[in-house]
Amino acid sequence: MAASALLQLQGVSRRLAGRTIVEDLTLSLDRGCVLGLLGVNGAGKSTTLRMIAGVLAPSAGKVLFDGRDLGEEPALARRLGYLPETPPLYAELRVDEYLAFCARLRGMHTADARKAVDRVIERCGLGEVRRRLCGNLSKGFAQRAGIAQAIVHDPDLIVLDEPASGLDPVQAASIRKLVSELGRERAVILSTHLLHDVTACCARVAILHRGRLRHDGALADLGGNDVEGESLEKVFFRIASADDAQAAA
Amino acid sequence: MSRVVARNEWRRLFAQPLAWVLLAATLAVLAYFFLLTLQGFLGLGPKLAGMPSPPGVTDLVALPLMRAIASVLLLVAPLLGMRAIAGERQSGTLPLLQSSGTGSAGIVFGKFAALCGFFIVLIALALTMPASLAVGTQLDWGRLATGALGLILFAAALTAIAIAASSFTRQAVVAAIAALAIGLVLWMLDAGARYEGVSSSFINYLALPTHLEPFLRGIVATVDIVYFALIVAVALTLAARRLDAERERG
Repeated sequence: MAASALLQLQGVSRRLAGRTIVEDLTLSLDRGCVLGLLGVNGAGKSTTLRMIAGVLAPSAGKVLFDGRDLGEEPALARRLGYLPETPPLYAELRVDEYLAFCARLRGMHTADARKAVDRVIERCGLGEVRRRLCGNLSKGFAQRAGIAQAIVHDPDLIVLDEPASGLDPVQAASIRKLVSELGRERAVILSTHLLHDVTACCARVAILHRGRLRHDGALADLGGNDVEGESLEKVFFRIASADDAQAAA
Repeated sequence: MSRVVARNEWRRLFAQPLAWVLLAATLAVLAYFFLLTLQGFLGLGPKLAGMPSPPGVTDLVALPLMRAIASVLLLVAPLLGMRAIAGERQSGTLPLLQSSGTGSAGIVFGKFAALCGFFIVLIALALTMPASLAVGTQLDWGRLATGALGLILFAAALTAIAIAASSFTRQAVVAAIAALAIGLVLWMLDAGARYEGVSSSFINYLALPTHLEPFLRGIVATVDIVYFALIVAVALTLAARRLDAERERG
């Protein structure tokens, strides 16, 4: 069963400038699932997502997409959409021009790209800014344009690095709703340090701390406070603070 | 997908003031130079009439203008190419291209093609000036054509160098300075040798003017085309390798 998973990380490690950022990470993800990658700042979330997106090569281990190695077949990357920490917008392009470029960059034909852009603009609520320059967007719209860019080509896997960061509560809620919708037919992996993001839209949670995977399981297995078993909050704090105590000692 | 990158680059180029300002300023300077040379040529009229086989307007006006275009390109190519990759890095858009499955070579080549397109437009517009003289006199069209080809190859080489410089840094200005320095060194490489009276050694062979001048004089030699093609190939390969290394090293 594991062999058929859409995304598989096998013993992935990554060193940057002599420091180990991610160590021996093994993870798999299938369609129809939203995985929340939770961790404090500097836990290795962004590095992990960059490796999944193919922007960074792992120092050791493999990232398999549909059972094939992304490093050997870079063209596979067209089937994933990636939102980096800062939305990769071209300030001098209009939102619709920009999204059309993103669609064609992933191999869509001009006519299909146009339809896809209309669809994604509606889906992400970008209608009122579609003819505005990307450089003049407010933070909320910029973030939404970044998400639109990641899903415009209808990818199988969507990788979102802190999609709700810096947004007001209303915008954050609408993005969480969008992410849950996307997770119905696709695989979504998102990173966050906000517990609420995870409880609101993820079916599964993986907790990273100091580059290591400390917890991986369905959110439903972690009960709320009133159910037997540890709540997500407790688990997260236990993992995040235990090590700090260790480091201090 | 490098075609998509090229088209996007082209669109972005003309959505920003830099390309327009460079185009306008370059053409203004060249127009002034052209008018000066033309006036000088007209002043020579009586003297030329007395010579047995006088040099024509192509020699006395078009040739100096093409040399002026080459000097201007030396400066403009680094300015236009400096942001090619450094700018993407600065604005955080490089991951978009890297995660699109286009590949480093595709990204680099797309950018190169778009910038070459700009220089073809620039050179074509500048050469309309000598071409306009066809109204009143006989022009050597063949030499104008080989000159245009030479200038385009020359611009392509400088652009490739600028893109390579741009791939090594985050700061566009640093890339521009590095590209300008490399261009100038390749331009003046053999100056010392020529000063000593050496004009056909290996060092002369490496310099840019050695290979541009034949085109301007109407000679298209395979060896010169290969020289420019080699510079382009080496520089673009270097840029693509640099982008690949970024994946590995972070």
